[in-house]
Amino acid sequence: MERRFTFFRFMAYSLELLLLFILQTTPNLLPEVFGGKPLLMIPAAVTIALMEEQIPAMFFGLAGGALLDLAFSDNLGYYTIMLTLICFVISLIFRDYMVVSFLNAMGFTSAVTIAVVGLYYLFFIALAGKGDFMYFVNHYISRIVYTIVCAVVLYFINKFLFRNLRSL
Amino acid sequence: MREFFADKNRKILAIALAAVIVTAVLGATGNPWVSSAFNFLTKGLSSVSAAVTDAAEEKSYDELLAENKKLSKEAADLRTQLVDYYDLKDENARLWKYYNITKSKPDYQILPANVIRRDSNDEFYSFTIDAGTASGVEPQDPVLTENGLIGFISSVNAASSKVTTVLSPDMQAGAVDKRTADSGIVSGNSSYSDKGLTTLSKIDANANIKKGDIVTTSGIGGIYPANLIVGKVEELRYNEYDATKFAVVKPYENIKKVTDVVVLTDFKNKGEVKQASKKEAK
Repeated sequence: MERRFTFFRFMAYSLELLLLFILQTTPNLLPEVFGGKPLLMIPAAVTIALMEEQIPAMFFGLAGGALLDLAFSDNLGYYTIMLTLICFVISLIFRDYMVVSFLNAMGFTSAVTIAVVGLYYLFFIALAGKGDFMYFVNHYISRIVYTIVCAVVLYFINKFLFRNLRSL
Repeated sequence: MREFFADKNRKILAIALAAVIVTAVLGATGNPWVSSAFNFLTKGLSSVSAAVTDAAEEKSYDELLAENKKLSKEAADLRTQLVDYYDLKDENARLWKYYNITKSKPDYQILPANVIRRDSNDEFYSFTIDAGTASGVEPQDPVLTENGLIGFISSVNAASSKVTTVLSPDMQAGAVDKRTADSGIVSGNSSYSDKGLTTLSKIDANANIKKGDIVTTSGIGGIYPANLIVGKVEELRYNEYDATKFAVVKPYENIKKVTDVVVLTDFKNKGEVKQASKKEAK
């Protein structure tokens, strides 16, 4: 019975990621804040990883990262690798060392969002000579903040799914 | 290393990461099959969501019609305002030019006018202005710009007047060299009109006129007021028939291209000589 619930939970997560991808990539569907849209797959994958075992967490990280990469370009790459690794590690940390709570979740989600987006800017914008720090201020800060705000909703959605589709 | 991979989860992580990296490298160097497959699978869903979003943003026919009417009216109003703006701008610029004339000569009654026609057959560049007797213009009235005298009203009707320029031999205005006070008659000459030049003729044989001297009207005769600038002396020449001297004068205004002028309808001592002549005749 538990297996069946796990299956439905994973299906729900998958559907959630797919819907978030559609939400993020469909023009005019999600309002832009200062010209930026949130990277919804990052908080979704991180909040799933908080509650799930390492392997499912890793695969949802991989899926979320892949969707982000596909939203930006035509190929897998940076986000897939980063989220795969990060979600695996987060799952490991929360299984052995930390308790899942709203504050912990927001702290980790914020840190991961800042780190992932910041490193993306560093590797693909700054080191590539495509923009200076003001480019980061103008284009990425609004996205980071918007993403963290959306993480609140996604945390409660994933918490709801985990609790209600875990077992009888 | 062996210890690290002893954990089953870590093995799976390593395999997954390796698979991602291989896929990424293959995609970057060749055909991005992952995105192609994904796009194929999600194309329908994306189309539906995009259509729903577009539909939500669409306006009804009536709304569009009303908006179109409103915008058309606004555009028409703005076009009218733009034309008015340019008219006012031109008029303002023109009036400012003549403000200094009336400021320095308070007795001048001036009437701004536009050049509405040029006679292309006239070698002396006469033109027609949009002011006539209805505006108070009379024959013989001087016509000038901020750069000086350019002609006189040679014929006039109710709404327009013909201006004969200083380049024409019909022009006969008493003038003086401001430096030497030598006097003469400003009159056009067919030899110089093409170059935009006029002449100061009938000057004394001992006159000391030099190149660069400024020529103005003398005020004698009562048709032109004194001290209207005509131009500057370009050269001094001798008449080939009677050996008298004349000066070639270049007006400061480009008479061939002038577009707005003022008519001097009244000034102090206007027509005084004529009256005196009549008295003398009596």
